[in-house]
Amino acid sequence: MRREIPIAICFLAGIFYTLELFIPHRQVLSIFETVRQWAQILIAFAYVLAIANILRVNFHAIQKNQRDWPYKVVLIVSLFFMITLGIFFGGIGEGTIFDWVYYHAQYPLQSTMFALLAFFIASAAFRAFRIRTLEAALLAVTAVLVMIGRVPVGEELWNNFPDFTEWIMNVPQLAGKRAIMIGAALGAISTALKVLTGLERTYLGGE
Amino acid sequence: MDLGTIIWNTIALFLTVCIFSFLYKDNPFYKFAEHLVVGVSAGYFAIILFYNGFVPKVWIPVTTRGEWWYLLPAILGVMTWTRFSKKWAWISRFSIAFYMGIAVGVALPLEMQQRVVKQLHATMLPVHFMDIQGFWNLLIILGVLCGLVYFFFSVEHKGAVGGAARLGIWILMIGFGAGFGLTVMGRISLLADRIQFMREWYLMVTQALWGA
Amino acid sequence: MKVISFIRVLFFFLYFLLIASPLSFAQEDLSQSWFNPHRVNMLIFLIFFFAIIIYFIDRAKKGKSLFIRRIAGLDAIEEAVGRATEMGKPVLFIPGIEDIDQIQTVAAMIILGNVAKMVAAYDTPLFVPICRPMVVPVAEERVKEGYASAGRPDAYNRDNVRYISDEQFAYAAGVQGIMLRDRPAANLMFGSFFAESLMLAETGFLTGAIQVAGTANIHQLPFFVVACDYTIIGEELFASSAYLSKEPKLLGSLKGSDLTKAIIIGILALGAILETLGITQFTRWFFIE
Repeated sequence: MRREIPIAICFLAGIFYTLELFIPHRQVLSIFETVRQWAQILIAFAYVLAIANILRVNFHAIQKNQRDWPYKVVLIVSLFFMITLGIFFGGIGEGTIFDWVYYHAQYPLQSTMFALLAFFIASAAFRAFRIRTLEAALLAVTAVLVMIGRVPVGEELWNNFPDFTEWIMNVPQLAGKRAIMIGAALGAISTALKVLTGLERTYLGGE
Repeated sequence: MDLGTIIWNTIALFLTVCIFSFLYKDNPFYKFAEHLVVGVSAGYFAIILFYNGFVPKVWIPVTTRGEWWYLLPAILGVMTWTRFSKKWAWISRFSIAFYMGIAVGVALPLEMQQRVVKQLHATMLPVHFMDIQGFWNLLIILGVLCGLVYFFFSVEHKGAVGGAARLGIWILMIGFGAGFGLTVMGRISLLADRIQFMREWYLMVTQALWGA
Repeated sequence: MKVISFIRVLFFFLYFLLIASPLSFAQEDLSQSWFNPHRVNMLIFLIFFFAIIIYFIDRAKKGKSLFIRRIAGLDAIEEAVGRATEMGKPVLFIPGIEDIDQIQTVAAMIILGNVAKMVAAYDTPLFVPICRPMVVPVAEERVKEGYASAGRPDAYNRDNVRYISDEQFAYAAGVQGIMLRDRPAANLMFGSFFAESLMLAETGFLTGAIQVAGTANIHQLPFFVVACDYTIIGEELFASSAYLSKEPKLLGSLKGSDLTKAIIIGILALGAILETLGITQFTRWFFIE
């Protein structure tokens, strides 16, 4: 029962939503929409599990005086700081302290992390050009051609460079992309079908 | 320029520099920024889910409009909390299964529609030699076919199948190279954004201090 | 015999498509209808695909032996875990940044179970940083189950399955922290990744870990190919459950998926030939509004 009922729930919910694409009836669509909202509500509740996990893992690290434990204190304090701001200091609207902290702490931190990608891509590119196999050579040469074709110097080198880059994007790249897309979709559908029928029950965990 | 703006922007600058310090090596400033971003974002999401999830989708419908059926997902949500008890943890499976069912049900036709049928339709191109596009169409079709052959698992990649699969992996590699080359410029512009922010901070502070 | 039955199935399918009347795409109000006639093609494709998969699963259950080609990236997982064990260092498993509702995450969880079994046998620590709350219980269960099936339930450390953050770059920062300070010798990245893929793969490279990655997200594959030792591409990720478990039922579904691919190749070739001849009726069957 502990496994069969969840599998039955998954199957029924899955079939119900597979039908969504084929039933255009307004009332039925509104039921689909309502139930979809339920999934979002479920996530909001499940977030408690995530917070509990953060607290447990970091409190254990602090308790055991593990290396770098003071930073775990920073993590927990900042977590509660945001929750306190959100609940007791005027909510989350524009102009609230919560909003200010988001824009002046979280946003710069996130966007700088994102900006680090410029350095990572440079080092990855450097490595990509150390060609070891024919496949690696194809990747590296195409990457260089596309890079040159996308900057003004490409056009200076050869008038048709931008057009050539476009051709790479529209012919071989497009073909490769479609092949991966179709293959991956078939794999995903097949896995989804196994989940639906209970053949794949990984998501339920052990007994 | 008020003092508050300068202080907030200076904090933002400090945190930006802390993250960039990673490029030198792992150091206390980076560790501080890393733990701060993790903690702040976890708290941020908790609050966002509370105000954008729980309040409008459960609290308001139930307490103000009497739409009691919104309690059902709340009950399913609370059922996930049984994970805290070893004895009752199995109850959480009901919620996970419900969530999975919806997800799989939505994904199944969408994957078939967007990633199989639409792609097939877009690849059924006329091949001719009246202009160059007709020839390129042939290359696209052959590329997709060979790429698909690479994804055969129950056939050994030998002989004709092996040849097509090899051609397929070459096409995929050319595609990866193109994707890589295309992304490089975009990533560099992200860095330019942060450098621009640092420059603006410098101008703001010098103006505030010396009025220049 | 196999070829004949394949051709028979293919012809049945094509015959159905060709004799059926073309779809009508006139705009009409369907808000009171119980079936969208414009989607009949989708319904046929889905039923056909399901039938093939279920047929092959059923055949596999009856004990027909099935061949599956080598997938180097999946074989490399054991090698990576073995190396981490030799070095006395942990293994890091990153299951992507999307929720359990994404099929790629489900595939990642299947691989995680197998990895947990391997590390338990070798007595190597396994870190699993998580980005979405619903993935936490599933990952915990998978790892626990893996340890239990290797006969080492005592070695399971619940604190090693860690929720980091829902925010993409905060998550990346947290995972980078694990890479830099716990120095795992093997980084296994499977699932749905976005811009953080390169950050993780490059940081892993800097720490000298052996890296195996797999995703179906086309835009991230180039970065994994460049920065990792082994990359599992697209559908290979979904084949992992059959490949690693060697369970006949799952191998059967893989065979079914291959047959569908063969049919798609046939349809594609036929569609292109008919288009070239100016016959567009067949192609229209694949048009979706």
